[in-house]
Amino acid sequence: MNQMTDPKLAATNPMLRVTDLTHRVSLETDTLTILQGVSLEINRGESVAIVGRSGSGKTTLLGLLAGLDTPTEGKVELDGAEISSLTEDQRAQLRASRVGFVFQSFQLLPALSALENVMLPLELAGMESPEARAKELLERVGLGERLSHTPRQLSGGEQQRVAIARAFASDPVILFADEPTGNLDNRTGQAVSDLLMDLNREQGTTLVMVTHDEHLAARCGRQLQIEAGVLTEPEAARELAD
Amino acid sequence: MAAAKKLMSVRRDWRERDVRVVLVALVIAVATVATIALFANQLQRTLVSSASSFLAADRQLEAENGRPVPAEWIDEARERGLETGQLIEFSTMVFGEGGFQLVSVKAVSDEYPLRGEIEIQPGSDAPRQTVGAGPGRGEIWVNPRLLRLLELEIGETLEVGNLELEITSLLIREPDGGFRLSSLAPRVMIHVDDVPGTGVIQEGSRAEYVYLFAGPDNLLDDYYQWLEPRLEPSHEWESVRDGETFSRSLERAERFLLLGGSLAVLLAAVAVAVASRQYALSQRDTVALLKTLGLSSRGIGGLYLRRLALWGIAGVIGGLLVALPLFWILVRLLSDVLEQPVDFHLAPSALLPALLTALVSLFAFAYPPIRRLRNVAAMRVLRAQPGESGRDAIPDIAIAILAVFGLVWLYAGEVALVFALLGGLALLLAVLALVGGLMVAVLRRVRGGGNAWRLALVGLYRHRQASMAQMAVFAMTLMLAATLILVRTSLLDDWQAQLPDNAPNHFLINIAPDAVDEVEAFWAERDAPLDTVYPMVRGRLTELNDQPVLEAVSKDERIGALNRELNLTWMAELPEDNEIVAGEWFAPGDTIGVSVEAELAERMGLVMGDRLTFTIGSETVTEPVTSIRTVQWDSMKPNFYMAFPPGGGLTDMPGTWITSFHLDEGNKVALNEFSRRFPTVSVLEIDHIIERIQQIVRQVTQAIEAILALILAAALVVMAAVVSATLRDRQREGALLRTLGGQQSLLARSTMLEFALLGFVAGIMGVLAAEAAVYALQVRMFEGTFRWHWQVMLPIPFISAALLALFGRWQLRPVLSVSPMLLLRRLE
Ligand SMILES: Nc1ncnc2c1ncn2[C@@H]1O[C@H](COP(=O)(O)OP(=O)(O)OP(=O)(O)O)[C@@H](O)[C@H]1O
Ligand SMILES: [Mg+2]
Repeated sequence: MNQMTDPKLAATNPMLRVTDLTHRVSLETDTLTILQGVSLEINRGESVAIVGRSGSGKTTLLGLLAGLDTPTEGKVELDGAEISSLTEDQRAQLRASRVGFVFQSFQLLPALSALENVMLPLELAGMESPEARAKELLERVGLGERLSHTPRQLSGGEQQRVAIARAFASDPVILFADEPTGNLDNRTGQAVSDLLMDLNREQGTTLVMVTHDEHLAARCGRQLQIEAGVLTEPEAARELAD
Repeated sequence: MAAAKKLMSVRRDWRERDVRVVLVALVIAVATVATIALFANQLQRTLVSSASSFLAADRQLEAENGRPVPAEWIDEARERGLETGQLIEFSTMVFGEGGFQLVSVKAVSDEYPLRGEIEIQPGSDAPRQTVGAGPGRGEIWVNPRLLRLLELEIGETLEVGNLELEITSLLIREPDGGFRLSSLAPRVMIHVDDVPGTGVIQEGSRAEYVYLFAGPDNLLDDYYQWLEPRLEPSHEWESVRDGETFSRSLERAERFLLLGGSLAVLLAAVAVAVASRQYALSQRDTVALLKTLGLSSRGIGGLYLRRLALWGIAGVIGGLLVALPLFWILVRLLSDVLEQPVDFHLAPSALLPALLTALVSLFAFAYPPIRRLRNVAAMRVLRAQPGESGRDAIPDIAIAILAVFGLVWLYAGEVALVFALLGGLALLLAVLALVGGLMVAVLRRVRGGGNAWRLALVGLYRHRQASMAQMAVFAMTLMLAATLILVRTSLLDDWQAQLPDNAPNHFLINIAPDAVDEVEAFWAERDAPLDTVYPMVRGRLTELNDQPVLEAVSKDERIGALNRELNLTWMAELPEDNEIVAGEWFAPGDTIGVSVEAELAERMGLVMGDRLTFTIGSETVTEPVTSIRTVQWDSMKPNFYMAFPPGGGLTDMPGTWITSFHLDEGNKVALNEFSRRFPTVSVLEIDHIIERIQQIVRQVTQAIEAILALILAAALVVMAAVVSATLRDRQREGALLRTLGGQQSLLARSTMLEFALLGFVAGIMGVLAAEAAVYALQVRMFEGTFRWHWQVMLPIPFISAALLALFGRWQLRPVLSVSPMLLLRRLE
């Protein structure tokens, strides 16, 4: 707890530090190793792309980095806090105050309007009047006119823009995105990634993103390649040759 | 084809939650309705047969004119397939070795009793036993007190008129318990064929001929149709339903069961409707996919229709599998209460309402939303289409309402019931719309969270559509449940008040005026104080406004009270349970006037000031009617048609005094001493009758409780069904909230609070609507008086709040127990 709230420590530490992370899940008959001996560091303000084949363990790694789950072995330090040593409620608090998410399938609640969807994390964080902030963000992503529309009434690109507005709503220090453009066509995907990168820069957020989109990956400061649960050197040339 | 078949299997369906809810609701509907119908049927048979035993038959024909009825009447009954039997009742002196005693003789034919049993004790130390027939020729069964009075033993003989009869048994209890105040003397029972031999009954002696009939209701009714024109004024046809004590309890119990059954139907219908609508919504993607694969709208309609039919069959089978054991348990319970075996009667016709309920629930409630699946656009596969608007559901709702009320009508056969429920529900929906609108307007202002309370309020607003729909269903369910609880409570209260544990169970009759104080002192010493002691003068009502009464009163009315001597009394105070309905009770010092019992007054068409003339012995008294009052005939206290003021018309008329009191079983030996000290006072023991009535009330009470429990269980399932209708959305939201950093405890608390609030408001509205419905029911159906039931009502909103909070917590359980990562994988 202490190290989390100590600003000096927080400033000198990297945003994320992973040491010897291994993750296994037990199936009915045996256990499956999804991630093996992963170590990495991500600095404040950095933007990092995680690339790899389908099933290689990207989403799993992202979830562990974000503290959505705890690793079987190894340590994850997020903004100076050791994830495994926190209780589930403390991790939740950490997510509420510092972490933002963007998902491939948007994950908007169908019963809520765009505005209400964006207000959700603000309400959770206990903000007094979340409406103004939510409106401002929706305007920023170009949906100022669609506040009362429900996800059903929005296109895929528009839905993802609402999701991005929601991700930035609580002023996160780090943003995790799992294939944010995976469900969108090229042009829309382009617009959405522009928005994401712009907002990231404006807010000075650290960005960790899983993507299959080479252009988007190339726009990130660093690329991490993962193969069958093991982190390998990023070799753009070999990847292109594949 | 194989895949299409797979789509159709109930087993596959069962894996879908919404289908499970539809099926469970159907099973509950069928089970409740079938159980109630079966049990009501059984209860009715049991009650009627226990009540019938009070007449020792299903119907009685009494001839009070001392003459037998024409033999053809009885032959006609036999020809129509009815069982018959005969009694002659008269009073006479019997002589034994130790002296003589006035007794009341009941001479019975071989067939007596047609219903019920006689309890006897064949020796002073022999165990009591019940038998199905009276004494044979040459035998006499006697009341135990008579043996002691005459110092006789079983096996000795007793002279009745010219005949010497052997005492073969003590007579402990007869089914038709000699409940008439005119039976003053100890009872003996002989065979009817011995009566001529005694020579006691001569032309003009006072004997009452009673004929017993038993058989199916329709035959009895047909026979009465035939008989009625032949009856003379002195003939009285009595059925169990007319029996003063029973009819009302019986009728009310029946109505309660019907009400319960109807509510069960309503509840089940609501559950089926909610669940199938949910199911239809969840099926839209599948339907769109099937359409892109080339299935026509008709094909889809057929697919789901067949599926509904399968559910119907599964629901009915499942329901019956639940109902039959339940029924069996209830019947066992009943026989335990009755302390006698109950014949287990499974009426196939009692299953019809259940089948009908299943059919109507499925086709009026489940089918419409599912039918509309045909219209789902194939485009849905590519892109989510806007959901259907609420307007589409309006025809469904109209059909549903019609179906429900048709069903309740058919089931309860009570227009009043249908309208009470309809009124209650309409009122409820109106209030709901109002409160709902108000709540949304207020909640709109609540923004921001942080603590569980605010999050709960925000949640309520966020889910306003679902919340309002759920609130409507909860309020309706609670209203139905509360209605039933209320009706049950007031029913039981009424019964309890009618026959408290210390209800009078003995009458003392024929107390000489100068012995009243002594008698009172005797029982006060033995801790069995007497109730009010009333003077009783026997007299006949002979003239109405100076015309002979039989001419003055409409010929269509056959009024037994005019053909026999009435018990007249005088009293200063109106008995507690009497109520003045017209005129005024005697003021202190009044000496003029007479107060008449309300029913008799109505049948005679009496109004205030009509002059009544009574013949008492050789004297006549004429008084104006000054008040009309209701009398609780089933109160087990002396009741009088005519009451005079003290010092009024009855002054100086020859009379005796009468009273009732409660005597404990253990104190009954005191009766022997009492008979010795006051040989002229008659004791009428009705403790067995009272016990029997209390037993029946207990049995009906148990049945009512059991059925109430059943229906409350149904209500719980409905609420669970409705809560789980939004389960998917809630869980999705919960998962997302957790990824966004919502703490488990905060989520749990705010969800519980949200549901608790919903439950509380729904509870309040349900309770208020229930009061409205009960007001209508109470006043119209149960002929009771209405009062607020805050003790019963107060806890209901709290209980419903707690219940819903638990439901809410329970459905979030999978969201709260696993890591957000797993939740996300499920969401993807
Ligand atoms: N809880 C779990 N139980 C069983 N297997 C799991 C679990 N979580 C992940 N896996 C398996 O681990 C492997 C990695 O999954 P993950 O979702 O991280 O892959 P990915 O790289 O994100 O793939 P994609 O690009 O297709 O999204 C997969 O084979 C997946 O099936
Ligand atoms: Mg993935």
